[in-house]
Parts: sequence; structure tokens; C-alpha cells
Amino acid sequence: MKQALVDDTEDVSLDFGSEEELALRKARIRHPLATFFHLFFRVSAIVTYLFCDWFSNSFVACFVTILLLLSFDFWSVKNVTGRLLVGLRWWNQIDEDGKSHWVFEAKRVPTIAASTEAEARIFWLGLIICPVIWTLFLFSTLFSLKLKWLALVIAGISLQTANLYGYIHCKLGGQKTISRVTSRLFGTADVPQRQSRISEDGAEEHGKAVPR
Amino acid sequence: MFPGLADVSISQDIPVEGEITVPVGSHSPDEDYSTLDEPVRDTIMRDLKAVGKKFVHVMYPRKSSALLRDWDLWGPLVLCVSLALMLQGGSADSKDDGGPQFAEVFVIIWFGAVVITLNSKLLGGTISFFQSLCVLGYCVLPLTVAMLVCRLVLLAGAGTISFIIRLIVVVAMFGWSTLASTAFLADSQPPNRKALVVYPIFLFYFVISWMILTFTPQ
Repeated sequence: MKQALVDDTEDVSLDFGSEEELALRKARIRHPLATFFHLFFRVSAIVTYLFCDWFSNSFVACFVTILLLLSFDFWSVKNVTGRLLVGLRWWNQIDEDGKSHWVFEAKRVPTIAASTEAEARIFWLGLIICPVIWTLFLFSTLFSLKLKWLALVIAGISLQTANLYGYIHCKLGGQKTISRVTSRLFGTADVPQRQSRISEDGAEEHGKAVPR
Repeated sequence: MFPGLADVSISQDIPVEGEITVPVGSHSPDEDYSTLDEPVRDTIMRDLKAVGKKFVHVMYPRKSSALLRDWDLWGPLVLCVSLALMLQGGSADSKDDGGPQFAEVFVIIWFGAVVITLNSKLLGGTISFFQSLCVLGYCVLPLTVAMLVCRLVLLAGAGTISFIIRLIVVVAMFGWSTLASTAFLADSQPPNRKALVVYPIFLFYFVISWMILTFTPQ
């Protein structure tokens, strides 16, 4: 009798396993590193922008540093912290005839390592507050006529707003996408028939041939 | 005993087994479900390899639509920053701290790339916005190499010979950049419009080459 493979994505086992798992379940923040980095790059970019005169006289060094921090922040929020902290992900896919599609996915399977409410709150607060701050910087740059920073501020706003928009789209569209995906997974055969087959043949645990 | 069930039994040579796990390894959008849980190191390595592959593709341009599909803007960012850094320290901005010059190079490259992309889309091109930005950005690589060579040559001296060497290098790299980008971009246009698309790209790389050639250190 083959056991269903236990991996992180499908762990609905009823045995309240090891102490580690219990601790993980109780912890308010299950991905401390991801949470830290989610906030670290954004906040450092803002702090560097505000206090760049203290760090260095050179405009170029500040510009490059802030730009790199913003890019790392964009990449890590888009590719890592989104899927770890709230189980959402978005990307751009280009199919064979060159048309580009923006895909927004949301994860619904609850796992031991799924995100907690505290993490989700930190994620969304960080995601929303920072573009607002960069917009304030935009106005301050325009009105104080320090126009050499304008390019940087615009880059910051676009990168952070892109992530915000992508994740909001994921969140709002999540339900639709999941129902489409599951109907495709079970689409070809009837589920009741399979269940009855499983009950007849007691040795079979699962009877779904993976469609390829 | 149950004759009706004889049909229902599973014949021996059809294997009926599999796994019901939610991320089923099937076609493309579902495939990424399995990447929702991959370790971070895998994500980083995958993206780094994609960037490296594109750099190699620019050096040896071949028509490859698979390359275009997987666009990213890391390469253009790195190239833009390195080019802008190398263009610092020229005699034009000896008074201030190089601020405006640096931002100028940035704006020229990115704004120029956006304008070319808009132009090709208005002419009815089939390529997507970010793909085109990606290609134009990556094809700045030969010119960045030319800038590096120019700076090294200028360390040796700023006479006529060094100018001739720099001229040859910059012209060669300019040709390489333009050819590499048109190899990717011109295909997406109808045949009678290819020249209309190639001309702005030519101009774009010409402006960058001009900035490189006229760079003189203090």
C-alpha cells in the first residue's frame, strides 16, 4: 500500500506530529527571514534617500545604492516574500505567438507552514505604506526643485506600485483562478466514479492518473 | 458472485496509480504551482542563469524566440548603471559632483528604449513592451565593453592614435549592438516596415556611442 507522498503542499495529516510542527503552528511569525527582508530593502531605501547627505557627499553613490535597494526589494517581494508570506504570486508569460499574459495566482491549500495573520498584516502594510511615502517624496522633489532626484523617485514609485498592483490583483482574482484550476485538474473524469472504484478495491488509495 | 462488477474491475496491464497532490505537474500555468514552494536559493539561481544566458545570446546573436519569451530587466539595469558610472569623471562636470551627468545617461537610455518600443508598437509590431525593453537593454552590452576599452586606452594617453583606436572599437561595437538588436526585433515587424523600426534603434545606439567616443577624462 503506497502512502501518499507527504510534502509541504499537501499536509492534511491528522497526527499532531513532532514538537517542531506544534511550535511552528503556534508561532506568530513562521517565516522570520522573509518578513525581515520584505521590510528591510524597502525601509533601507527610504532611510537612505532621507539621510543620504549624512552617508556620503556623492550623488552617484547614493543614487546607485538606492536604485539597487529598490531593485532587490522589487525582486524579493515579487518572487519570494509574496509566495511565502501570503501565498500569492504574479508574473508575465509570453506564449508561442508572442502575446503577453499577466498571470495572477493564489494558493489555497493550507499547510503547516502557511502564513499567519501577523505575517499577512506586515506584508500588506509594508506593501501599501511605502509607495505612499515615495509619492510624498515625489511632491517634495518637485516643489523643492531638487530635480536630479526625480528619476530615482519615479523609479521607486513605479517599482513599488507595480508590486502593489500585482498583489492586489492576485488577491482579488484569487477565487476565480483557483476554481478554474481545480476544474481543470479533475475535469476529464468523474470524481464520484473514482471514489466508488476506490471503495471497491480496498488496496487502492488513490486512483487518479496524472494527465500529461 | 457479482457478475455486474466484472466490467468494472481494473485490468492488470493498465496501471492506475498516481498522486492527488494539489500541485499536479501538468501544463504551464499549473507548473508554477510547484515553484510556489521552491526554496529561495532555487529562485535566485534560476533567475541568475536566465540573465547569464541572455548575455551570452547578445554576444553570439542567433534568432531565438525562446530567449525573448523569458524577459527580465536585470541585465539592462546592470549595464545602464555600469555605463553611467564609467561615463563619470569627464571634463564636462568638473565643478559639481557628477549628479546631472549620471542621471542624464540613465534617462537617455531608459527613455530612449521606451520611445523605440512605443514606435515599434505603433508600427504594428507583435512584440510586447517589456520584451522589447529587455532586448534593447541587453544589446547595450557591446557598447559597455567599448566604454571599458576606451577608458583603458585613455589611461595610456589621449593623442591621435588613441583616438583612432577608440573610434574603431566604438564603431565596431556600435555595429554589433545594432545588428544584435535588429536580429531580435526586426522579425516582429511586417517586411515593408523593417527599415522604419531599425532606424530609431540605429539612432539610439548612435547617441550612446557618441557619448562614449566624446568622453574625455579631466
